[in-house]
Amino acid sequence: MSLRVFETVLVLVLSGLTLSSCGAPIWVPPESRLPPPQGAEEASRTPAPLSPRVLASLRLTDQGRTLLERGKTDDAISLLERAVSLHPTNGENYYYLAEAWLMKGNPAQAAEFNRLAGTYLKEDPLWMEKVLTQRKRIEALGQRV
Amino acid sequence: MKEGRSTTIPWKRMVAWTTLFLVLTGAGSLVYCWHLSSQIEKRFSARRWSIPSRAFSDTTLLYPGQRTNRVLLHEALRRLGYREVAHKPEHKGEMRTSSSRADIFLHDLQVLSRKREGFPVQIQFLQDEIASITRLDNRESLAILELEPEEMTLFFGPERERRQLVSLDQVPEHLIFAILAAEDSRFYRHHGFDPKSMLRAFYTNLRHGGIRQGGSTITQQLAKSYFLTPRRTLLRKAKELLMSLTMEVMYDKSDILEIYLNEIYLGQDGSVSINGVGEASCFYFGKPLAELSLAETAVIAGLIKGPNHYSPCTEKKRCRNRRNAVLRAMNRHGWISEEALQIALTSPIETVDITAYRKRAPYFIDHLSKQLTTLYSPETLSSLGLSIYTTLDTQVQMAAERALSKGLDRLETSYPALQRVAAEQKLQGAIVVIQPKTGYILAMVGGRDYSVSQFNRITQARRQPGSAFKPFVFVSGLDTFTPASLLSNEPRSYVVDGKVWRPQNYEPMGEDRVRLRYALAKSINRATVDLAVRVGLDRVVSTAKAFRFTTLVKPLLSLSLGAFEVIPLELARAYCAFAADGVLPYPLCLKGVSDENGRILERRHMTIERVISPAKAFIMSSMLRSAVTFGTARSLNDMGISFPVAGKTGTTNDYRDAWFIGYTPDILALVWVGFDNAEPIHAPGSAAALPVWAELIKAIPQHISGNWFQMPPGVVRKTICTQTGALASRRSRCKPMEEFFLADHVPTPHPGKPPFNRIVEEFKDVIESF
Repeated sequence: MSLRVFETVLVLVLSGLTLSSCGAPIWVPPESRLPPPQGAEEASRTPAPLSPRVLASLRLTDQGRTLLERGKTDDAISLLERAVSLHPTNGENYYYLAEAWLMKGNPAQAAEFNRLAGTYLKEDPLWMEKVLTQRKRIEALGQRV
Repeated sequence: MKEGRSTTIPWKRMVAWTTLFLVLTGAGSLVYCWHLSSQIEKRFSARRWSIPSRAFSDTTLLYPGQRTNRVLLHEALRRLGYREVAHKPEHKGEMRTSSSRADIFLHDLQVLSRKREGFPVQIQFLQDEIASITRLDNRESLAILELEPEEMTLFFGPERERRQLVSLDQVPEHLIFAILAAEDSRFYRHHGFDPKSMLRAFYTNLRHGGIRQGGSTITQQLAKSYFLTPRRTLLRKAKELLMSLTMEVMYDKSDILEIYLNEIYLGQDGSVSINGVGEASCFYFGKPLAELSLAETAVIAGLIKGPNHYSPCTEKKRCRNRRNAVLRAMNRHGWISEEALQIALTSPIETVDITAYRKRAPYFIDHLSKQLTTLYSPETLSSLGLSIYTTLDTQVQMAAERALSKGLDRLETSYPALQRVAAEQKLQGAIVVIQPKTGYILAMVGGRDYSVSQFNRITQARRQPGSAFKPFVFVSGLDTFTPASLLSNEPRSYVVDGKVWRPQNYEPMGEDRVRLRYALAKSINRATVDLAVRVGLDRVVSTAKAFRFTTLVKPLLSLSLGAFEVIPLELARAYCAFAADGVLPYPLCLKGVSDENGRILERRHMTIERVISPAKAFIMSSMLRSAVTFGTARSLNDMGISFPVAGKTGTTNDYRDAWFIGYTPDILALVWVGFDNAEPIHAPGSAAALPVWAELIKAIPQHISGNWFQMPPGVVRKTICTQTGALASRRSRCKPMEEFFLADHVPTPHPGKPPFNRIVEEFKDVIESF
């Protein structure tokens, strides 16, 4: 009886060791079993794409862009700042703010906003292309981004 | 013949003397009139009135889906001059509210370079959420609605007069007729004084044995209020007469009437007088002159006789009688029809809510004023009628004032030792609310009661931050340490300024080693000092300088526990960088200034500078989130705060200061509680400041999106061993958890134990499983 138990244990130990040597060097347990780091649950939860707050912000972004196109830089900045306050993760606002500060001849502020635009638009290749082009224009003015 | 001569000569002499007297008097009067004319011309050609500048709050944005505080929103509408009506709003400034909707006829909106005509709108509510916003004139659904800014204060000169200048063509005809009917119906027919009305007044007064009626014309009234003292003497009356005549010669009737309409005293708002029909229209009826009804113009005209005696706010019956008298006089002169008269006579007098003038958000306004004095002199501010637009959100300001007041009262009730009799010695508190991304200061409460103390504890105080400074020690270490790195929690002695210093924890901690995240969340002093020593104090000091603390003194070790003074606004600003991707905003209160013609004189925008990477900011927010979920601020979860919040409590030695700084991606608020004389308050930040923060934030749902920060580039998520802080592996025997790391600073897996020990341990496991 005791021999059978010993044999079973030995087989289990050996098979366990064999299996462990075949596995990946870093063991990652299933997500659900782990206590997440603080903020992890929220970080992985992307905000609803078209929440009312976002919609209102996008309306302001649109108005800000139109004003910028008309050369009303200060008015555009004011609206874009309101848009930022409603939807701080919309990188387009920062892109347009960078444009506005370039138009106002302040490449240092433009660089700050361009960096933020890059942070939030990193997943969007089309926008990133615009952000990088803008960055080159800022750097051409002697301002490091 | 002799006799004849003797009777002729005195008669002739009398005529001669009389003629001479008349000539001399006439000549004297002419000379005097000439003198007066130069005085009048000087007064009329110069700037006629000092118009105080006005500071406004920011506009309020409303949009469908927005959660609101219905009470604060309704109060804001009342402050904006909207008055409740039972019928469907038909005129600007009217509103009809019910539990599920608000129908509002909006005022015109004018802010820097933007104008919008008022229109009727319906806001539908679903409990506290705005369900829809619809224009009532064309049924258009609106995605966003902007409410006009609130007037916060007036920058008065010594006169303390409120006045809105209007030109004659802006004044409705029926108001002019009402004023003429009430004061001087023969204005266009006399030349400055009206003997007929003077005689009538004289007769009336004689009959009643006292002054019952004045015979002064509009020109005389203007002369009196513009140039003369109110004393009733014969000499002054003669001067008034000559001045009126001179004015009539020099200026035409429309000029005189326009000046009169802007000059006339029409009421009192606390210590401030209401002058001119433009201001009176807004003050009493909350609307511009052009929108006044016939009955309302008659009320204003009736006020001239005695603004406080016939006040439509306090003396309603008397006011109605006076109004009706004016209306009947208008009809008698043929200026209004019988039909119009009958309608006006029966219409009720509805005024807007009037509260005695007081400076709103006084600490914020003081802070603003200091910035304005670098742009404009006090004389300019009190005379040029500038419009000053700010970042203040009146609903947040109201919520902050109430939360602080309630919080301090509650503390005094819970801890009777905190009660003081003298008002200036009472427990104090301060709040500042900032939008972290833009730096807009939304609210500022610099003390418990502005009338007792004008000292602004947000901008002028220097207080020790205590543990509220710890995040800046931790962020200094993020280049060499990770949230999973272990710090020593063992009792140690240090030499500070030649003295032995043994930092103690607020509460006993069993662990000898704690992870960074745990140390910050639980605000562990010994671990923080250990980190500061290992990082280097110079580095902590340079971090603090980068975050724009201007009050640093010596790089002492006690600095790591916040044993130095900070200006609360600087502390709040520094935390903004964690909430804004590592970008430090300039705390902005002024958005712009325009002159009385709407020409923009000054524009201010958000200004930012990067102090740490977005990755570090994210990790700091994640660690400060732990302070709320399981650390010193965990009681926030029991106070109805169900959305993600990062924050840090702060308590200084002997409980002299209690702090809580909490934030979301949308809003940041700092709360400080303490005594001005640094007596202990016997309560930590979590008990004294944190409940105030919770109360404030719950009252402003419109500023809470419920979102958390997105993980920026440069951050990775890994599984670690809670005991070692090393990456978890199959070989490590530990309790795993997930942690965030800078991508270029991920810990290595724990080396683990020798193979033989592992086999034995795994063997034991298997045995145990049986």
